[in-house]
Amino acid sequence: MVFLFYMLSAIMIICALLVVFSKNPINNVIYLILCFLAMAGHYILLNAQFLAVVHVIVYTGAIMVLFLFVIMLLNLNKAIILRKSTVTRVSAVITGGIFFLVLLAATRQTFEIHAKYPFASDFGLVSGIGKVLFNEFLLPFEMSSILFISAMVGAMMFGKKDV
Amino acid sequence: MSALILLTVFGIIVLYLGFANNKTILAPVAITGLLITIFLSIKDWNLGSKYFHDMMIIDNFSIAFNVSMVIITILIFLFGVNYYKRMEHYVAEQYALMIFALTGAFLMTSFSNLIMLFLGIEILSIPLYILAGGKKTSFRSNEASFKYFLLGSFATAFFLFGIALVYGASATFYLPEIKTYIAQFNGQLPPMLMVGLLFILIGVSFKVAVAPFHFWSPDVYEGSPTLVTAFMATVVKTAGFAAFYRLLGMGLLPLPAPLEKTLWVMTMLSLLVGNLAALRQTNFKRLLAYSAIVNTGFMMLAMLSQHDSSASVLLYYTFVYSLATVPLFIIFIYMKRASSGLEELTIFRGLYKQKPWMAVFMTIFLMSLAGLPPTAGFLAKYRVFVLSISRGYLAISIFAIVMAIIGVYYYFYVLREAFSESDNPNPIEISRLNSALIVVCGVAVLLLGLFVWSVPI
Repeated sequence: MVFLFYMLSAIMIICALLVVFSKNPINNVIYLILCFLAMAGHYILLNAQFLAVVHVIVYTGAIMVLFLFVIMLLNLNKAIILRKSTVTRVSAVITGGIFFLVLLAATRQTFEIHAKYPFASDFGLVSGIGKVLFNEFLLPFEMSSILFISAMVGAMMFGKKDV
Repeated sequence: MSALILLTVFGIIVLYLGFANNKTILAPVAITGLLITIFLSIKDWNLGSKYFHDMMIIDNFSIAFNVSMVIITILIFLFGVNYYKRMEHYVAEQYALMIFALTGAFLMTSFSNLIMLFLGIEILSIPLYILAGGKKTSFRSNEASFKYFLLGSFATAFFLFGIALVYGASATFYLPEIKTYIAQFNGQLPPMLMVGLLFILIGVSFKVAVAPFHFWSPDVYEGSPTLVTAFMATVVKTAGFAAFYRLLGMGLLPLPAPLEKTLWVMTMLSLLVGNLAALRQTNFKRLLAYSAIVNTGFMMLAMLSQHDSSASVLLYYTFVYSLATVPLFIIFIYMKRASSGLEELTIFRGLYKQKPWMAVFMTIFLMSLAGLPPTAGFLAKYRVFVLSISRGYLAISIFAIVMAIIGVYYYFYVLREAFSESDNPNPIEISRLNSALIVVCGVAVLLLGLFVWSVPI
């Protein structure tokens, strides 16, 4: 378990760095997908099956594929090196440094949280979430269908050509 | 609950009627649905029913606000009969989306759980993002839709993050439980809970367009199709304030001192910023947008002066404000058509010469917005001030009264245009139904100002 945790963390950090440092936009997106997959692995280690599956479906499946499509449709797949002025670079370094300091200060203040509520072994599994969703949270679950139908109507209105 | 289900069903029916290629049956069907909804809502009066593990509590407060919103929507649909005559495509979708938005508004008045509030706000907002872009060929409309969508998503993200933090601290979404959880700290809240509450308040404030979260509203009001703007300025504002009031009353009150101070500063800012910006507007829709921001300030004043009668005063204020705003937008639509698409204040020139009765009713509506007697707007503002002064907020009340007096200037600026001569007046053609509706609204604004009514909610 500990070995898996360190391996996934290493993959995540390396991919995240590559997202920032690689020059080709398509590579950036693919590294980001890898990063998200490693994060899904972390969720599984934390016993959150459902979250891991949803994370893969929504982020890697839907959002990142959408990203790829946009990049390819807009023909952005050439490596572009932007020349920034010195002022921009210096101010970017200063801003980043300040943010780093804030994070460092925040981590110094952290303390261990002790679980307030008992941890059930079926917590985070699909069956448990299904039971809660169709029992306690039935009304919000059903009501979200109105949200989806209006979103679909909107997609149709904006997407269709006026004949 | 039956009212909510029926409303959804009618939304889908109207959506399907779009296949019939007959625009004339849409509005009657939609209005029939809304009338039955009113009937079903009123049937639940005094029952105080709870549904689905207390996800929704439909009490007199929610019924009163629901009925007032449905009445305003019926008005908008009646005006829509004429407005959508020129539109070729997606008329059924527009009606259906407004009905879906109304279901969201229903959830916002009757939630007792933060999840339901979130869903209500989203169900109200997403149809609005679409409706704002209803004129596909107009760049302004596209801009309004996109801007509203982006900024609205930011606000939603804040709101959701706030809910997550509050849940993390209190382990519940249920508002009465959150209230007991907050009460145990005696005003000294842990940081996580404090930040969560702040984010929730930011999200809701964005939806009701309180300064400093008002920047989207003038652009969106200006770009959207005028009937949708009328819907946003009235029904959406009412729903937002009902939700805000319920959120405070059911869960968050008494607020910790820093948050309460923040809300008071926001109230004063909306009064000040809205007024100062409105003084300089030349576009009528933007003027009404800033006037909406000022009125938001008065509604905040009524809401924050917590008393048993606050809800009733708030209901009266929102209803009277809506009743004057909707016909003003309709008169504006006719003037815009007569002057071939201009939106400046100068298009009102020569109105008195051509249609004296319309100019008179416009005077009544503007006087009601400005809060002058004998209109209902005066009584509404009067009741807000009496309430806030009786709760001991004297300084803020005096500030608000001064702001109300400043407001008279720009409303009368519009009136001056309406009563001045025009060089080349354009003919105004107004349908019989709409003339009747404007008269009905005007008489209602006058009659409501004659006697004080308050609903026991």
